[in-house]
Amino acid sequence: MSAMTETPHETLLHAQGMTRRFGGLIAVNNVSFEVQRGEIFGLIGPNGAGKTTLFNLMTGLIAPSGGTLTYAGANVTGLRPHNIARRGIARTFQNIRLFPNLSALENVMIAQHVHTRSGVWQGVLGLPPSPQEERRTRQKATEMLTLCGLANRANEKATNFAYGDQRRLEIARALALEPQVLLLDEPAAGMNPNEKGTLSSFIRDIRDRFDLTVLLIEHHVPLVMGLCDRVAVLNFGELIALGDPATVQRDPAVIEAYLGDAQ
Amino acid sequence: MADFFTSNSGVIVSMVLAAILGLSVYLPLMAGQLSLASPGFYALGGYTAAVLSTRVFPHEGGQIAFGYIVLEMLAAGVLSGILAIIVGIPALRLRGIYLALATIAFVEVLRVLSLNLTITGGAIGIFKIPQPFNSQHQLPYLLFAVPMLAIAMLFVARLERCRIGRAFTAIREDELAADAMGIQPTYHKVLAFTMGAILAGTVGAVSAHVLNTWNARQGTFDASIAFLAFVLIGGSRTFLGPVFGGLVLTMLPEVLRAVGNIGGLPKPVTTFLKDGRFIIFGLLLVIGTIFFPQGLITPELVGRLRGRTPPTPPAPTADPLPAAVR
Amino acid sequence: MTEFVQRFVNGLSIGSVYAIFALGYTLVFSILGIINFAHGAIFTCGAYFTYMLTGATFGANGIFAKTHLPIVLPLAVATIVGAILAGLLGVLIERLAFRPLRRRNSDRLLALVSSLGVATLLVNFIQYLVGAENYSYKTRLTGDLPIAVNLGSEASPIPIRTIQILIFAVAGVILIALTFLINFTKFGKALRAVAEDATTASLLGISTDRFIWLTFFLSGFLGGLAGTLVGSSVSIAGPYFGIAFGLKGLAVIVLGGLGDIPGAVVGGLVLGLAEAFVPADQSAFKDAVAFALLFIVLLIRPQGLLGRVQVQKV
Repeated sequence: MSAMTETPHETLLHAQGMTRRFGGLIAVNNVSFEVQRGEIFGLIGPNGAGKTTLFNLMTGLIAPSGGTLTYAGANVTGLRPHNIARRGIARTFQNIRLFPNLSALENVMIAQHVHTRSGVWQGVLGLPPSPQEERRTRQKATEMLTLCGLANRANEKATNFAYGDQRRLEIARALALEPQVLLLDEPAAGMNPNEKGTLSSFIRDIRDRFDLTVLLIEHHVPLVMGLCDRVAVLNFGELIALGDPATVQRDPAVIEAYLGDAQ
Repeated sequence: MADFFTSNSGVIVSMVLAAILGLSVYLPLMAGQLSLASPGFYALGGYTAAVLSTRVFPHEGGQIAFGYIVLEMLAAGVLSGILAIIVGIPALRLRGIYLALATIAFVEVLRVLSLNLTITGGAIGIFKIPQPFNSQHQLPYLLFAVPMLAIAMLFVARLERCRIGRAFTAIREDELAADAMGIQPTYHKVLAFTMGAILAGTVGAVSAHVLNTWNARQGTFDASIAFLAFVLIGGSRTFLGPVFGGLVLTMLPEVLRAVGNIGGLPKPVTTFLKDGRFIIFGLLLVIGTIFFPQGLITPELVGRLRGRTPPTPPAPTADPLPAAVR
Repeated sequence: MTEFVQRFVNGLSIGSVYAIFALGYTLVFSILGIINFAHGAIFTCGAYFTYMLTGATFGANGIFAKTHLPIVLPLAVATIVGAILAGLLGVLIERLAFRPLRRRNSDRLLALVSSLGVATLLVNFIQYLVGAENYSYKTRLTGDLPIAVNLGSEASPIPIRTIQILIFAVAGVILIALTFLINFTKFGKALRAVAEDATTASLLGISTDRFIWLTFFLSGFLGGLAGTLVGSSVSIAGPYFGIAFGLKGLAVIVLGGLGDIPGAVVGGLVLGLAEAFVPADQSAFKDAVAFALLFIVLLIRPQGLLGRVQVQKV
């Protein structure tokens, strides 16, 4: 019998009972799941299901009303966004949050903040490690821009970019954080079918190249099914299905959640 | 020619100091903080110098050694910095309007305190502050003012290009996104605020000597408006803006006053020209926010003046969705 | 005991003026989300308008020194007309300073800055026109009523000035009227709709612009009225007294909760009482009470006593 070498499954992210209430409204209700290292993990569900809120809980933008989040064995529940970023979790935003008046290069350079440490005096007086760090930051940022096909427009203001390019720029910025985990919030929104296809292979590419674990919120179901190793489905803040794409797609609860609205 | 400078020496020195005060508002603004607190630190710096020079340091016949002024500036800077950190850490968790209000409140509290404490001389203030220079006019003070301005400008220019400066700008552009990219907002906001405070405090220390007296009228609401005007009209997106604003807006009322002294104008006009500086500031603020929200000196203007052509806007693409940033 | 009652009444009285003033402030905030710093200047203008309308003469400084209007109105009427003029001034300010900013979708802080500009401009313009002297109204708002009534006994008198009672009554009436207007009329409902979401409101056919200028009129009216009340009860201490009031008004509305109508009243009374109970030997620090309160509230509970926490959509 040939032995199949299996890559060890390591739980990198573990969400347990994540809950968030806004007054009387429960936006995220007791959601638990694990994400394995190296996975591309999809998060789908109808509008308003709480997907972005869940991302916000995981990245510290809002505090959970209950539950815990563990990352690489450490409890990161309720940490502020900058601390989450520092630990290697980067994200993009549903509504694109680039720094509008900064150039593409500057936008991406910002993400290198956590990997550098020059203070005010080193920066102003040009003392080490500032010059070296500036060089490295610029270089890294240019690499990411090139990877995302935006290097030729490095000095243009972010707000001048077309919508699709802005999404790519946001991903470039997130990558410049040199994260282990990448959270993408609707990265394909507003893209045409061609672009979506390119995006799909791009995500797989960077996952392999940078040893990433990717969490993805997406509406476009075919994209998710073709790209993700596993998929979680949220509806009204609750986790209603979790598994590989094919299984989830056939799950009656999922079908009802999506089609039930149309009734 | 020399006559012109000596007789207008007061204005010239004020202009240079005002430019630095503009920068003291610009620094917190780099991190997106609209702070009206500079006058408070300015007043504190002035009181520090006034108290030290009239009560602590040796002085004789209205003269005090140059070196003591430098010590006072240091003391003023340190005190301002400490107060800025104490006030800033809680206050800078606030955003936008709430922060502006908190800084207004802070300045008012300081003002009332200074009106009522004995050490600050109460409502009368402190007067007969000794001078380091034996001169009929104020030009020698440029020995302080000009290097201070040069250093401040250099500092800010270099700051904008380095890691911390980038962090400030990121916070200004989108605090939440900056946070998510690993930049700790409160630390950086307090840092920017403190730097501005130290700058304002040191200017205050020098000003106390320039003006010879110091009282609660130095740290008032009017001052907040003036400093704000320096930045908002001068230019809020580049360090050259507040410098320009400080220089021009301090010079403008004097020019108007000179015009008002030309004989033959009807009284309402001359009174307006001589005393209407705040009417004009107010009007400029209103017009500025509508037509020049970024101020007069914009990064684009600076780029153009340097010979760089502005980047051409992208040709309209087939993408029907507009650039949706924010 | 008598001192306590005295202070309490003083606190309520000045608190009532703060409340009336703050109501105007908070109305604009509730509908536009901006702090209209010029409210303090409108307050001043109201007092000056009333002064002019009683045919009183201006002092020795300013362009219009020693002049007076050829009108002589009884003080009560002048008060109302003055308040109306103040309201119109508010509308003018909205039209010239704020509407262009709204059209450009400008940041709210720019509106704050612009209002600071308007306030400075107005107050200094008044000074230019009529100087910075202290003025008092020639007649009393309480007319022929006695200046004070005695709440206590012959042995331990507690004199209360009738003007204070009047102010308190006016504040009460205004609060009731406003609450009724906002909560029980169609106008009020539309106002609240615009405050909640201007875009949707206009899509629903509500003329947003009209409601905005109506709000500014109301706000200016209240500000001007407050100005005259203070002018009557104390005096008009030069144009800058509006700025000081404006700053305190900020403390009041933050204390009560930005945009909260009953909050403005609660905040005003709380501040008035707090100031009234400052010990006599520390009276100089009275002015600092407002700002210290403002600062503390901002740090501990920025939404104020009655406000609700704002949730930011990410």
